[in-house]
Amino acid sequence: MTDHNMPIANPLVVLREEFDDWAILFNPETADAMGINPVGVAVWKQMDGRHSLEEIVDDLGERFSEVPDTAGKDVAAFVNQLVELGFVGYELKDSGR
Amino acid sequence: MKEQVSIETHPSPPKVMYSPRSVDVEITARCNLHCRYCYFFDNPAVDYQDLDTDEWLEFFDELGRCAVMNVTLQGGEPFVRRDLPALIEGIVRNRMRFAILSNGTLIDDDMAAFIAGTGRCDLVQVSVDGSNPEPHDACRGKGSFKAAINGIHALQRQGVNVSVRVTLHRFNIHDLENIARLLIEELELDEFTTNSAAYLGSCRLDGDEVMLRTEDRGLAMEKLVCLANKYDGRITATAGPLAEARLWSAMEQARTNAAEPFSFGGRLTGCGCTDNTLAVRADGMIIPCCMLADMELGRINTDSLIEVWQHSPVLNRLRCRHDISLTEFEFCSGCLYIPYCTGNCPGLAYSLTGHANHPSPDACLKRFLESGGRVPIETGI
Repeated sequence: MTDHNMPIANPLVVLREEFDDWAILFNPETADAMGINPVGVAVWKQMDGRHSLEEIVDDLGERFSEVPDTAGKDVAAFVNQLVELGFVGYELKDSGR
Repeated sequence: MKEQVSIETHPSPPKVMYSPRSVDVEITARCNLHCRYCYFFDNPAVDYQDLDTDEWLEFFDELGRCAVMNVTLQGGEPFVRRDLPALIEGIVRNRMRFAILSNGTLIDDDMAAFIAGTGRCDLVQVSVDGSNPEPHDACRGKGSFKAAINGIHALQRQGVNVSVRVTLHRFNIHDLENIARLLIEELELDEFTTNSAAYLGSCRLDGDEVMLRTEDRGLAMEKLVCLANKYDGRITATAGPLAEARLWSAMEQARTNAAEPFSFGGRLTGCGCTDNTLAVRADGMIIPCCMLADMELGRINTDSLIEVWQHSPVLNRLRCRHDISLTEFEFCSGCLYIPYCTGNCPGLAYSLTGHANHPSPDACLKRFLESGGRVPIETGI
């Protein structure tokens, strides 16, 4: 069983902060890389398996001004994209069986 | 010649990334061959010594902390190091990918299998300078051609991405068609890259016997342009006759048509390496580039890589190079190609003139034409 609400960053993926809080996510296993903006960096840093998407969005509201109403949807889409690339997963939890 | 432009004319250091994206590491100063045009050896300013395994591993840990993405292992010949697998494991452990530049002669199936097994190798580049032993061994030593081809086969058997670099010199330009056939048709490589023997390292000692003369260079350009077309872009170059043929052809057409200046033209824009790459000599000295080997910036495991990368005045002066107009140089005085020229490689400029912030005389189209050279004109560039 997986907890689909608390994303966790692939520990192999490197966050390379470059200019003005923009960054590159780099997966050395596949050589895939992806540029992300400061909001993406903030989201990435919260994906430790202990924060739900809702909590991550709330955190953005505290860090950035003028967070749009679509932030929840945008963050979910961003996280899904990272999941598809193998940059993010969800922790497997014991089903108890 | 006017004075070299100093950093004082550029008071604001350029904006740089937090750390280099890639680092070129001369992992050893030893080599099993002694090629006549090696850029690496015979530099009187360089101390040719190796570091032990632990020192490199400590440095790779620092690279990992700095989020460096790629390490290129070169030398010397990387495969002379018996601890190479341990060093590669240090790179992998620190979440980086790697490439290796090699003469190919020491690569066997076990080593190729190890490299493949890491899953992190972008490529192993092997030098092949002929379609048969004669032109290759003439400059690299007897038996080196056969051993290099064996190395390529071992890498291919294990599924490692192989790239070949062909260095053009006076003994192999008439073999170019056969070299292309060998590499692309027989060895079935996706592509190969070309360069030419240049006035660096060992080539400074007897370069006149090895380096291409004006007529050789024109012939090499013509043949390479034809072959690159024939093999549909599978022959590439960032320096040497093929790169020159393309740039110079575009420059000649632009000058003839009185075209607008190229966006990169008229200034020393020929190199952007210092924006994303740093290099380390075999003895641990940090340098801007392997072709600027005596420009020491600091020492690994003693000086902070980030500190060197962000604040070295020497490095920042090189980064400001692209602001320097070619009109500032007496060397370029009266040249009609200035609006289209980049000044080319600072490493070669440094080797030839003693100044990195100077156009490279070797890459001067005006000089080439004045010495009787002809540029093959390509269309659609």
